[in-house]
Amino acid sequence: MSSLDWIVLVATLSFIVLYGVWKSRGKQNMESYFLGNQSMPWYIVLLSIIGTQASAITFISAPGQAYTDGMRFVQYYFGLPLAMVVLCITFVPIFHKLKVYTAYEFLEQRFDLKTRTLTAAIFLIQRGLSTGISICAPSIILSSLLGWNLYWTNLIMGGLLIIYTVAGGTRAVSYTQTLQLVVIFSGMFLAGWMVVHLLPADIGFKEALQVSGKMNKLNVIVTKFDWNDKYNIWSGLIGGFFLALSYFGTDQSQVGRYLSAKSVRESRLGLLMNGLVKVPMQFLILLIGALVFVFYLYFRAPLFFNEAQLQRVYATSHGPALRELENQYNTLSTAKQRQVKTLAAAMEKKEETAIATAKNALQATEDKAQQVRSEAVMLIKNADPTGDASDTNYIFLHFVVHNLPKGLVGLLIAIIFLAAWGSIAAALNSLASTTVVDVYKRLYKKEETPEKYMRMSRIWTLIWGIFCIAVAQFASSLGSLIEVVNVLGSWFYGVTLGIFLVAFYLKRIGGTATFCAAIGAEIIVLIMFWLDKVSWLWLNAIGCLLVIGFALILQPFVDRRLSK
Amino acid sequence: MSDKPLHEEKPPLFPTWNYWYVLVVAWLVLLIVLFYLFTKAFS
Repeated sequence: MSSLDWIVLVATLSFIVLYGVWKSRGKQNMESYFLGNQSMPWYIVLLSIIGTQASAITFISAPGQAYTDGMRFVQYYFGLPLAMVVLCITFVPIFHKLKVYTAYEFLEQRFDLKTRTLTAAIFLIQRGLSTGISICAPSIILSSLLGWNLYWTNLIMGGLLIIYTVAGGTRAVSYTQTLQLVVIFSGMFLAGWMVVHLLPADIGFKEALQVSGKMNKLNVIVTKFDWNDKYNIWSGLIGGFFLALSYFGTDQSQVGRYLSAKSVRESRLGLLMNGLVKVPMQFLILLIGALVFVFYLYFRAPLFFNEAQLQRVYATSHGPALRELENQYNTLSTAKQRQVKTLAAAMEKKEETAIATAKNALQATEDKAQQVRSEAVMLIKNADPTGDASDTNYIFLHFVVHNLPKGLVGLLIAIIFLAAWGSIAAALNSLASTTVVDVYKRLYKKEETPEKYMRMSRIWTLIWGIFCIAVAQFASSLGSLIEVVNVLGSWFYGVTLGIFLVAFYLKRIGGTATFCAAIGAEIIVLIMFWLDKVSWLWLNAIGCLLVIGFALILQPFVDRRLSK
Repeated sequence: MSDKPLHEEKPPLFPTWNYWYVLVVAWLVLLIVLFYLFTKAFS
């Protein structure tokens, strides 16, 4: 990175930390620390919800996903607007009416203490581990691309935000997320504009879309159903609905965002607006990846975008074989550069036969290039079995670092930090609120002074921050971290959602039946994952339906036992 | 938080929240149709 990039990076991060600290001023109690005195307008709630969901990986991984697999990943978000409607009808009014700090408090009022504690414990385990991984995942990519020390990158990725999260609680988190998103969207818009700007002079936005479409990268809708296919319209609508409902309805990192709204009206508006903007937002982020693909048709793409990993393999006995594959790949890249120009010329003249011929030739070369890349990936796996053999998450940042002008590179790197901070800060705040409200205050110290609870809230935010950084320092050896986060979520989200749906909709079912159903469902979900028969996205729906089904079956037995 | 009963919290623009829910679902349907046409147009 150039000096200008460093100045932009340090200035942006420092400004956000100072802004967060400034927003933390004033006397606080537990209500202001965890709920922001329930004073937030809907647009702050909206931006806070988006900032919590959109982690660094969203901005790093989604363009890479579009580059390798096309834009069909957007279907993953189709269930989200439907989930927002269900949340507004059921979850939001009840949470506000009961004036709860955490979603799990409601479960004691509806069921019993053991069900509340079980659900809070599931959340603490899942969110604590996945937040650690959320720190580590972008750190690994940045340290690999820029040659930074991983441990220091982890410390900055997960450490600086602790300053304002500990000091200001949910208010500081929400307001910094708002500012962070302004910077993030400005930077992503500039990056998207630069991709098109860097293409040859005769290729504009429309031509780039046409080329991308011809290469099947604009495959937004896939209607064919397949249990093992993660991204089609059916898995997106059904699996995505259950995932979004469990994430937004039962994960305290999101529930805490809309509980900070000043009324039910503001909570609902924030969530419904999220339902309106989320799918188009993801579409635009993915579109950048589809355009980056076109860029790398005109300019040579590396054989493997994680170049540090490539260099490690070059140093082994597999090095010569990898060189040979790279030579083949470069020859194919040169052919692609020629063929894409032929295709663009044919499209400009609107000659259908010439378009079909040029497209087939380019697709055939691209298929050969992908085959060479697959062989290289296999070779990398053999040479370094513990290394990350997927380079999807390196594609966009590789483009940024090697092609964008000075200053903009620094801004895009800052965006990765800010996106990470937004979701990590909300997670730390929610982990602390659940620990203090559902464990410390409920189980151990029921009658402390407000000052003591406030002090414990800050201490637990700090403890969770340190814990998550510690997880991050060990997580680098877990392989593909994005997959680990998703899998971790799919183990628990469905079961947690099932508990809440029983609570809301099946009034005659009690705590004992629900508790036993949740334990049974969790065991089956883990067995199904171990057997590897369905995609992880479906585990959310399966876990949820199992809890509901088991609870309905068990309740008559519990009733009979009680009547005896 | 406002102490008003929940049913008094009127939404902006529309008389009831149901209109908002229909708007969100209709927007999703419209997006899916537009994305389908987008996929077909550029494939």
